[in-house]
Amino acid sequence: MAYVATRGGERAIEQSERLFREAMGPIEAARVAEIRAAMPYLIDRVMGEASLYDEDLAALALAQTGGELYEAVLLLRAWRTTQPRLGVAAAVEQGDLFTHRRISAAFKDIPGGQVLGPTLDYSHRVLETDVLAGKPFDPPKVDPADNPAPAFQPSVSAWQAANDLVDLPKPDTTKGEAIPDVTREPLLFPSKRAHTLQSLARAETGSVLALGYAAMRGYGQAHPTVNELRLAEAEVMVTHPSGTAFSAGRVKVSQAEVVSKQGETLGLGFAATFGWNEVKCIAAATLDLNAKGAPKGSATEEEFFLYHTEGVEASGFCIHFKLPHYVTFQSSLDAMRDARAKPVKEPAE
Amino acid sequence: MTLASLTKPWAPMSYGFLDASAKRELRRKMIKAVCVPGCQMPYASREVPMARGWGTGGLQVSLTLIHPQMRVKVIDQGADDSVNAASIRRFLARVSGAPATLDTLEADLIQSRHRIPEEILREDQVLVLQVPNPEPLRSVQPNMSIARQMHGDADYGRMWLQLYEQIVRSGRVMQGASYPSMVNGRHVMTPSPIPRWDVPKLHMAQHLTILSAGREKRIFAVPPYTRVEPLVFDDVPYRVEEHGGLTCYRSGAKGFFMNEIPQGDGSSAYEVSDSEYGVKAIRTRDGEAIETGETWYKNGEMPQ
Repeated sequence: MAYVATRGGERAIEQSERLFREAMGPIEAARVAEIRAAMPYLIDRVMGEASLYDEDLAALALAQTGGELYEAVLLLRAWRTTQPRLGVAAAVEQGDLFTHRRISAAFKDIPGGQVLGPTLDYSHRVLETDVLAGKPFDPPKVDPADNPAPAFQPSVSAWQAANDLVDLPKPDTTKGEAIPDVTREPLLFPSKRAHTLQSLARAETGSVLALGYAAMRGYGQAHPTVNELRLAEAEVMVTHPSGTAFSAGRVKVSQAEVVSKQGETLGLGFAATFGWNEVKCIAAATLDLNAKGAPKGSATEEEFFLYHTEGVEASGFCIHFKLPHYVTFQSSLDAMRDARAKPVKEPAE
Repeated sequence: MTLASLTKPWAPMSYGFLDASAKRELRRKMIKAVCVPGCQMPYASREVPMARGWGTGGLQVSLTLIHPQMRVKVIDQGADDSVNAASIRRFLARVSGAPATLDTLEADLIQSRHRIPEEILREDQVLVLQVPNPEPLRSVQPNMSIARQMHGDADYGRMWLQLYEQIVRSGRVMQGASYPSMVNGRHVMTPSPIPRWDVPKLHMAQHLTILSAGREKRIFAVPPYTRVEPLVFDDVPYRVEEHGGLTCYRSGAKGFFMNEIPQGDGSSAYEVSDSEYGVKAIRTRDGEAIETGETWYKNGEMPQ
């Protein structure tokens, strides 16, 4: 009763918010800049899940929420949804990506080469505890490669398609405003391809991993082989009203292609997202790979995984159970008590 | 004429928070929902500055309908001063400037979580119900796309079967709140988790009810003077909660839906769930001349 029926709700919620914010103190531009510089992968993850590419706003959201990720993503989403759509950038083909890292597990070597790029994959996960004792950790400088890897490379699936190993989907030529936008229209099933890929791009990393992992362990039909994993930057090409196309800048993107043998050909799963987030892309591509023909209600069915990896909705619903439910509860109690008071007559044998 | 005179001054957000395209979509979907009573209309459902599951569907409807003269009442579980109702009311005021009211009779728009006020609503009032789960078939069919087809086919057999099984097992229908109801003889809808007590208030009501689920992205409506009939078998009548005989320990009001307040001695006290109705009853008892509207229930009974 205390937190509902008293007349003072307004003051109580104001003070509880103050209590939360007080713990983090004043937020200054310097803190936001530090978060942005120190946590690029966290910024990437938040930008991807918010489907809003703005490192400063993402850092601000993290500062404002003290790193509560679901809250940070919600802040950005709520900001994003009120912004006008000024234009639609040109489609980016895989070969146009300015590539930093590109690896394939399917072949020992691939045209364009394996490019390791930045990764912790082969690092030893050891804490640099000396830092806490006052000795800064100064990572050694990178030696530039003798032969820099080409910045632009085709996809591995393009080579497989040329060798008749995989059927690539027909290129979607939908342009501009005609491209379905899952933030402006409801997601219905069977979902439009654009909606599926957009939803996966916005999906919450942990949820995608959980369901993708379930599929990998055996609750899916297809075992993924990472055909290609790529971290890159994409040029955002937009057209000025005067007709000139120009680059509005680059955004970091990641993408994964996974394949598995389906009969005599390879099935292909794909996912891409804003920012560099390898786990999410591999898991999402695995879900995509398993979606075709998945049984209704299974974790690899499109409706199941798209609904349940929507982090803003999932987290919001989860925390809503903190709200009072005493009317609903009272209604159930009434039915329960009545049913108990009148035991069911045993049917005659 | 200057360029500046043709445009509006910059503002950090649109009136009523949502931008024009979001409001347009909501208006269109509300009209569709009114045209096909009880049928769930999918909509994009924008993020709002509140967590999903906390009334974001109702909020989007309120934000679309609101204007500076509209008097708004917000309740949660029957109470105006519940923390989330207070939060929504504060947000609506902040982005619209619309005046708030606690009085059901004064309100033009009532956004509510899981209760319909005890005073009868009029033709000029709109009730917006927050909906956590818009799909009455969820318990028999969790898959939304299959459930959608079942609505298309008016295939409600499994719904009936579930009610029948409850009667066989427990001797009565065990559904608590969210009692599935047939709207206009065609679509089964969930009235949202309002108690069974409130469902008859929707039947042939004078007011418009809009039900909106933000997280699940569905909107549906009960237009004025529309049949809303709880699913019941001919020989097992619909039963509301046994609250008709209870008396509010604070206001003395009798015959309304109550909150049960557990007491230290193991007993229960009851207070009227519609908090503002309780306040009115107390003020009337104390001799104030205030207006209390006609109530749906009289002496704890809903007149047929």
